[in-house]
Amino acid sequence: MSKQVKELVRRLRPSLSLAEYGRLFTDTTAYMEISYGDVIEIDNHHYLVLRDEVERSFGIEDPKYWVKRCILLETGERRILKLVFHEKFMLKLGALEIPCYRSPEKEARILDLVRGDLRFMQGYSRFDKKGNVVRIIEIISGKRLDHAVFEIETNHRDYFYNHLPGILKKFMDSCRAIKFLHDHGEIHGDIRRDHLWIEHGTGRYRWIDFDYAYEFEENPFGLDIFGLGSLLIYLVGKQIFTMSNLESQGFSKEVAASISEEDFSLLYKNRIVNLKKLYPYIPKRLNLVLMHFSNKAEVFYETVDEFLQDLEPCIDEINPNYALQTPGGDNSFE
Amino acid sequence: MNPKRLLIAADASENAKRAASYVGEIIGPRQGFNVTILYVIRYPERDLFPDDASWQIKRDEEDQRADNVLADLKEVLKSRGIPSSSIDTEARRATGFSIAQTILEYQKKNDFGTIVVGRRGVSKAEEFLFGSVSNKIVHYAKDCAVWVVE
Repeated sequence: MSKQVKELVRRLRPSLSLAEYGRLFTDTTAYMEISYGDVIEIDNHHYLVLRDEVERSFGIEDPKYWVKRCILLETGERRILKLVFHEKFMLKLGALEIPCYRSPEKEARILDLVRGDLRFMQGYSRFDKKGNVVRIIEIISGKRLDHAVFEIETNHRDYFYNHLPGILKKFMDSCRAIKFLHDHGEIHGDIRRDHLWIEHGTGRYRWIDFDYAYEFEENPFGLDIFGLGSLLIYLVGKQIFTMSNLESQGFSKEVAASISEEDFSLLYKNRIVNLKKLYPYIPKRLNLVLMHFSNKAEVFYETVDEFLQDLEPCIDEINPNYALQTPGGDNSFE
Repeated sequence: MNPKRLLIAADASENAKRAASYVGEIIGPRQGFNVTILYVIRYPERDLFPDDASWQIKRDEEDQRADNVLADLKEVLKSRGIPSSSIDTEARRATGFSIAQTILEYQKKNDFGTIVVGRRGVSKAEEFLFGSVSNKIVHYAKDCAVWVVE
């Protein structure tokens, strides 16, 4: 078998030299057995496996054995192959636990829906010889939006007036991308800070990973909208604020003492949402949008449209001259 | 609207039983009323299942659950003295994303003067993330009374 792979690599990509040559897989059912040096054949294309993808959380690397980083031997391009892995698990969102399902079919469907729409990761799906739906994903060269924002080397006031308006304009377009999914009866399902990336070179914001599905509820878009709200809170604050990091960020004891129960996130009980108490120059209108995601909220956004209608007028209010200063929006990340 | 036509929006919860009991206590053996129990079925999405067979099993279970709930609630009403001839039952699929919307469409089309719904009492966070059928009915109902039984 390894001879077969060696021959394939030599024929299709002679410049590649591998430490070991593995097996050729046309059936990806046993994804745990597929590793470095193996080749996956899908639809007459050959993907050389380099490694399993990992998810990094709190400094711990969690391998995703069903997600393979590959080289397409025919072209030399890098691709991510997501193999079929069905699982049900309890997703923890603050104190709530929600049954969550990993659905390859859903992600394949969304990849079809958003083809050519660069607000989303791009890719397509093909069946392997056993009928497993394999998603073949183009790799986005870039970094997480939250990391990029955190790394902007300036104080909050300068960030707020001179960077945030452009960031929010692009973020609003990312929200419209989510609305596009909703309008087509789909949800993203996993809107988190690490699932919105900024592409190097273009500065474009792009959503990744659409394979989470949930049991239908009366408000099917609530989870996505809460995710957008949490992202907005991060972008406005330039980071997450909790009671335990206020002092290290230079806030006085008086400011800390002014934070009350209703200033925290509805879901994540330690996160401060009422950022106006930290940065009084945040306009009331923008802070009110944030407060829809706080313990104080009595009215909730049911659609992305409602969220955007409230958010849009806030941008010009932050810095009415911003558009004149930087035509085309924020270019910090290009 | 016809005030003597009542629509109980049912699900498989204890709250629906309480709603039916309440209607039974109010109406009892009085003549001239009609009570319809509506169970809106929402099949789980195909995405939640690895194959069609397991999805079909779940959908069959949902159909069966609807039949069982409707039969149980009819018995609750009968036990409070409402004659069987004054009770209708109906199971129907949700027409879109929203069960509440399906209930409201049914109410409007069939001239019910009152919608009766049980409420389970959800936290704010749950309401944001998942929504609430009873809250939506209260919010969007027109030309009818809404009884919320907790």
